[in-house]
Amino acid sequence: MATAIPTTATARRVRSTERSVGAKRSTPFSYATLIIVSAVLCVPLVFVVSIALSSDQTVNANTFTIIPREFHWENFTRVFSTDLPMQRFLLNSVIISAGAVAGQVLSSGLVGYAFARLRAPGKNALFIIVIATMMIPAQITMIPQFILFKELGWVNTYLPLIVPNFFSNAFNVFLVRQFVSRLPSEIDEAAMVDGLGFFGIYRRIMLPMLSPVLIAIGIFTLTATWGDFMGPLIYLNDESKMPLALGVQYITSTSQALQAPPWNLVMVGSILLTLPMILVYYLGQRYLYEMDISGGSAGVK
Amino acid sequence: MSRLRRREALWFYLFASPWIIGFVVFLLGPMIASIGISLTDWDSFTAPKWVGLDNYVQALTEDPVFWKALWNTFYYAAVSVPLGLVIGLWLANLLNKGIRLRKLFRTLIYLPTLVPLVATAMIFKMVLAPSGPLNDLLGVFGIPGPSWLLDSIWVKPALVLLSVWGAGAATVLLLAAMKGIPRELYEAAEVDGAGPVRQFWSITIPQLTPIIFFNLVMGLIGAFQVFSQVYILTKGGPDNASQTMVPLLFDEAFSFYHLGYASAISWLLFAVILVFTLVAFRSARRWVFYETEVK
Repeated sequence: MATAIPTTATARRVRSTERSVGAKRSTPFSYATLIIVSAVLCVPLVFVVSIALSSDQTVNANTFTIIPREFHWENFTRVFSTDLPMQRFLLNSVIISAGAVAGQVLSSGLVGYAFARLRAPGKNALFIIVIATMMIPAQITMIPQFILFKELGWVNTYLPLIVPNFFSNAFNVFLVRQFVSRLPSEIDEAAMVDGLGFFGIYRRIMLPMLSPVLIAIGIFTLTATWGDFMGPLIYLNDESKMPLALGVQYITSTSQALQAPPWNLVMVGSILLTLPMILVYYLGQRYLYEMDISGGSAGVK
Repeated sequence: MSRLRRREALWFYLFASPWIIGFVVFLLGPMIASIGISLTDWDSFTAPKWVGLDNYVQALTEDPVFWKALWNTFYYAAVSVPLGLVIGLWLANLLNKGIRLRKLFRTLIYLPTLVPLVATAMIFKMVLAPSGPLNDLLGVFGIPGPSWLLDSIWVKPALVLLSVWGAGAATVLLLAAMKGIPRELYEAAEVDGAGPVRQFWSITIPQLTPIIFFNLVMGLIGAFQVFSQVYILTKGGPDNASQTMVPLLFDEAFSFYHLGYASAISWLLFAVILVFTLVAFRSARRWVFYETEVK
């Protein structure tokens, strides 16, 4: 490793360490603080793993320990075979999140590109509205939207959780617009001279260049829908339609009186809920940084 | 307008149509409907009855739970947002020193923020149990821990504790911003004989004010809309000691079918958020430092 040719990544790392050394020196005190803070923050996670690996007897006796003492790995397969519909929950989460991500990525790119590049009367006024809508709390529209979806007969289907995403949202439009604005407009002009229409320019020229920002939007949307609790709580009543985020809570709140919820299986569910987020963050972080929202946040002054 | 310009405008409206349709159908329409509903007494099964401003008057003058929820929401926002920022700043500053294993520490601090809120709430239900690990830990130091979620005095601090667990999100943003501070500023300060503490207060903090401000505004808006934690952990109890605005509005709408009253509460919530955002923006002129403003 030490003899490897310096790549840009290592060069960057070297530069950033140089920069952070300087006036400030690390002390044993900083290390001690960081170790304690990290430990405190991670204890709940260790506790989750410990509960997930506990036997049913431990659950009933409520004798959990933070550090795992028993290792019932079969809990991880049990959640898929017992009468708990964990498999169904997981599949529902995947369907809803995939639909939402597809909707946001497809629509935000188009709309953001239009606001960044195409000239039209009334565009600036519309853009002011885009920005203004970011301030409106979702609770204002929650009740009328529920009535709308009820009238459409969409309650207890995935549709209310997926369809609105196909109409993009202000924040994503803003992100794409900022991103496109920084691309040189000569690219579009050259494409136009070559005879491409507006849709052709978007499809063939812009879309490939937009991939970092669209991937970032996909990650944001996935994180938001995967963990969403309130939306499914409002629209879904059937256990068989619930995503994992709602289903896991549903199991604890509906377990019979005098009987403890199956905490070990619930925590396996929580782990299943968390792992994809860790994976997405791990795989997606380079896109999040590549997207360079710092230029975008300049508009948030 | 030339033919080309007209064609371009047409394409703009075509491309922007998803947002325009979404705006009308999912935002503007519902907003107007929400104002209308808030002026009625409606259970969604029978015909709505016009009551004028009664719902607003009832919330503001007759409903003790509304005021309690409003106060609890203020309490939560006022404690959790600044606390999260201070801790985030402190951790970012620690990580910004030439520290070994920085990437590992950064990941460990960020990890809790990746756990979806529902799972977080489940975890804290166990952690904060009367005989849970937090009270075990306090017991080691001889402190008898309260039964957090069942005690009307301790339930709000418990929710704050849960929010602080996610301080890593702010840490990462602040750390990124710290990296962007020109090194020359620190070198110049060092030449002038400023120590690390002085440098932190006179360079790091002023340079970070835009991002601190951004976090403050976003944090306040988020805190006013706190829902899942409260709903899962306490359902607003005990005795409404942890009831906040959104769970209250949710219960009124979807448990009691008081759609008119719930709509009125949603507008009152909007008003509160608006006032706080405006105050934050006003105060920002005094303390937020923008490079471009230096003449």
